[in-house]
Amino acid sequence: MEQKIGKQIKLPFRRAMQISLRGIRIRFGRSLVTVSGVVLGIAFLMSNLTGQLIKQAIAKERAQRDTVNMMLSLVRAEIGSVSGKKIAVAVCGALSDADRLLLEQVVAAGPESVRGLGFEMNGVTSVPVESLGQEAALLLVLGNAARSELKLSTLSAGMRQRVVLDSVEDRVYADPVDSSVRREPFFGRESDEQIQKAQQQARAERFRTIWIVGISLLVTVLGVANALLMSVTERFREIGTMKCLGALSAFIRTLFLIESSLIGLAGSLVGVVVGALLPMIAYSFAFRFGLVFGSMPYGTLFISAAGAVVVGTLLAVLAAIYPARFASRMVPASALRSTV
Amino acid sequence: MSNEDNQTTGMSTRLDEMLAGARDSAKGSYVIRAVGVKKVYKMGDLETHALRGVTLDVRRGEYMSIMGPSGSGKSTFFNMIGGLDKPTAGKVYIDQVDIAQLDPYELAWLRCRKVGYIFQMFNLIQVMSCLENVMLPMSFAGKDSEEAREKALEILGLVGLAERALHKPAEMSGGQQQRVAIARALANTPDILLADEPTGNLDLKTGEEIIELFKHLRDTLGVTIITATHDLKMLKASDRIVWIEDGNLARVSTPEESGIHLEEVH
Repeated sequence: MEQKIGKQIKLPFRRAMQISLRGIRIRFGRSLVTVSGVVLGIAFLMSNLTGQLIKQAIAKERAQRDTVNMMLSLVRAEIGSVSGKKIAVAVCGALSDADRLLLEQVVAAGPESVRGLGFEMNGVTSVPVESLGQEAALLLVLGNAARSELKLSTLSAGMRQRVVLDSVEDRVYADPVDSSVRREPFFGRESDEQIQKAQQQARAERFRTIWIVGISLLVTVLGVANALLMSVTERFREIGTMKCLGALSAFIRTLFLIESSLIGLAGSLVGVVVGALLPMIAYSFAFRFGLVFGSMPYGTLFISAAGAVVVGTLLAVLAAIYPARFASRMVPASALRSTV
Repeated sequence: MSNEDNQTTGMSTRLDEMLAGARDSAKGSYVIRAVGVKKVYKMGDLETHALRGVTLDVRRGEYMSIMGPSGSGKSTFFNMIGGLDKPTAGKVYIDQVDIAQLDPYELAWLRCRKVGYIFQMFNLIQVMSCLENVMLPMSFAGKDSEEAREKALEILGLVGLAERALHKPAEMSGGQQQRVAIARALANTPDILLADEPTGNLDLKTGEEIIELFKHLRDTLGVTIITATHDLKMLKASDRIVWIEDGNLARVSTPEESGIHLEEVH
């Protein structure tokens, strides 16, 4: 007996994509409902991430401002008013934002002169190391380097009173600090206990966020799965017909997986935008508008957004696995049933 | 000894089968052969015998109608000879191939190319235009889209709908939709057209047009048409009527033989 039966070929992904896209477009209203489920879940995730970023950024800004104020009051404690005084500034390593702010404030306070070594800044005259300390009321040593190539005695040479304020508590200089120099650090080091407490608080906060966001994402997955299951039962005649026309189970499965990943992608994109903008606007009412938008770390925000889109799309595909299997196992004869 | 006996019996059975196969291909005129087809549905402990051993040959180019009250096993038998379901016992050969032997890929291939399905509710894919509906089985068969488009337009012309090719099914009348469905069934030039109550959702006049179309297709393309129907006009147009009752083949007759009966109902 001659065997004339061949094996059905697998359709290229492009065809499934076309059919799937068209299905979504035509059933736009229904797709929109499913999409909005994803939008809500991802917007919630994103608003949590954005809210945290804003809170962190604002806290950082505040801490920095507090730091600068504290440094400034230390300066005043040493020399009284800055105005009319000569100030010398040496920089070892990189300037922090707080260092810069402090310098700006010092320059703004109207000293006779600010002489600087090792950096450039408006209102600061760059001088060689020999003339740095000349007649200066105060020497500020800023920057984050733990070790300086210079001698503290050279830096402070020519000062009437050798008062040095240092931004690093245990910075090491090329010469041992002698008793003629009064060197004070701006800050003491944070105690281990303080650090531990802060870490513990951060951990508890993170756990709470993960829990709430996790639950909301689970609800999203179930919502999408339910919507897709409905859509499968709604379409069983169409699926059966496709099988009668020669569609393989894998093709039906691909159709639903593509559909859900597109739904997930669209929903996540909208959700990310909504979830990022809403908390930014809301926090703008509570704080200054410029503070929220100005202090936002946009790089980190973008990475969080990309992550949320990936998560949203993956969850939508995850939600589609069962409905897609259900659809692909439908028997072709179901196309013959005349009632819906 | 007994072992040898068994062997010889086995041999002779196989020989019989081969001879039978040879006879079939010599005739070559049967497109579907159902031999002692039984189907049992199991629901828990309950066994339902939908078919109790139906044997029937369908000739190539024949227009056959299947009749039977609901619950008679008519639909089961219909699904069976269309390759939509496999028998519990017995054999169904479509174009001399035992469908029970086929894997899912081969079954899909068979449904795609050997059989064209026509449904009571037309079952056009609503999201696609008529042209795309007709092209769908061709793309399942791996035809490139240019070739498929050309062929689809040609077939749509055959059913008289070439100028409405780009319309969506929802924009067409029931009769037009059914003609698109027939065009789609013809897409891969199948040997068999399987129609389940094709006129069930159409008015009398449109139904007649569909019947005319079936007759035309049988005469011009030589395609075998099998319908499950209660439509008297369809029964009249068919070459043979198969009556299924209680899972058994009750009788096979020509419309003329059961003519008086039909007139009475008319």
